[in-house]
Amino acid sequence: MISQLWDLLIAFARASNLGFGGGPAVIPLIKIEVVERYHWMTNAEFTDALAVGNALPGPIATKLAGYVGYQEAGWLGALVANIGVILPTALAVILLAQFLMKYSNSPVLKGMLKGVRPVVVVLIAQTAFEMGIGSFPNLTTWGIALATVVSLYWLKLHPALIIILSMAFGLLVFR
Amino acid sequence: MPGKLWDLFIAFTRASNLGFGGGPSLIPLIKAEAVDRYQWMDNEEFADSLAIGNALPGPIATKMASYIGYKVAGWLGALAATIGTVAPTVIIVVLLGSLITKYSNSPELKAMLQAVRPVVVVLVAETAYDMGKKSFPTSSTWGIAVVTVFLLYFSNIHPAFIIVASMLFGWAMYGRTKK
Repeated sequence: MISQLWDLLIAFARASNLGFGGGPAVIPLIKIEVVERYHWMTNAEFTDALAVGNALPGPIATKLAGYVGYQEAGWLGALVANIGVILPTALAVILLAQFLMKYSNSPVLKGMLKGVRPVVVVLIAQTAFEMGIGSFPNLTTWGIALATVVSLYWLKLHPALIIILSMAFGLLVFR
Repeated sequence: MPGKLWDLFIAFTRASNLGFGGGPSLIPLIKAEAVDRYQWMDNEEFADSLAIGNALPGPIATKMASYIGYKVAGWLGALAATIGTVAPTVIIVVLLGSLITKYSNSPELKAMLQAVRPVVVVLVAETAYDMGKKSFPTSSTWGIAVVTVFLLYFSNIHPAFIIVASMLFGWAMYGRTKK
C-alpha cells in the first residue's frame, strides 16, 4: 500500500512537473505513467477516464489524478496523486511570487514584466484559437459566440451565467 | 481572516465548477472573480501572475489559485484557493466516475458541451484582448508579440522558453531606465 501511494505520488509529480502549458499539456505525460510505465490502466480505460474528466468542469490534470489514484488506492490514493500534481508547482509559484513581491518596485523586475506581457497575451490568444478549432461545427455555434460577445460587452453578464445559459440552450437545440 | 479564506474558497470553487475545457478555460472565470468581483488585483497584476504561472510546469488553474490565494491571505489562502479549485470536481469524478462513463456519450451531455465550447472560446479570447489593452505601451512590445507568434508557429521552441527569453529581453531593454 505504502509503495503504491509512493508510486502514485512520483508518477503524478513527474507528469505535472514536465508539462508546460497547463493541465491539457500534462495529459499525454499522465498517460505515459499510467498506461505504459505502471500499467495501472489499459489504453481504453484511460480514454474512458479522460472522457469522464472532460464531461466535468475544472482542471483536467487533477480530475485524472483523482480518478486514477482512487482506482489504485482508494481515497488516500486520490489525495496522494493530487498532491503530486499540485504541490511542487504550487510551492514553486508561491516562492517565485514572494521573491517578485519583494522586488516589485525594482526597475529590473518592471522591465522583465513589460517584456513578458506581450508573450502572455499571444499565448492566451493562441489558446483561444486552438480551442476554437473544432468548436464551430455549424452556424448556430457562431450565433452562440456572437451572443456571448453581446452578453459580455453590452449586457455585462457574468461569464458564469453565460456558461450556464449556453448549456441550457444546447440541451434544447442540439439534442 | 476567516472571511477572506472563505471568499477565496468560494471564488475558486465557482470558477472551477463552471470552467469546461480544462485549466486554461478557467482563466477568464478566475479573472472575473479576482479582478472584477473581489478586486484582489488589477488587470496588469493578473497578467503578471499568469506570466509567472505559464513559466512553470503543471496545471495553470492550481498555480493561479496558489499565487492569488497566497497574495490575499498567505499560505492558508493558497491552500483554501487550491482546495476550492480541486476538491469539488475531484470528489465528483471519484464518486460518479462509473456513472459518468455511462453518460459521457449521451446526446444531452454532448449537446451541452457543444453549446458551451463557443462561449469558452470567446471568454478566453476576451481575456487575451483585455490583457492586451495595457500590454503594448511601445512599438517594441508589438515586436515581442510578432516574434512570439513567429516562434510559436514556425519553430519548435517551447513556450516556457519564450517566456524566460522575453523576460531577459525586457530586463535588457526596459530594465535599466529609471521610471
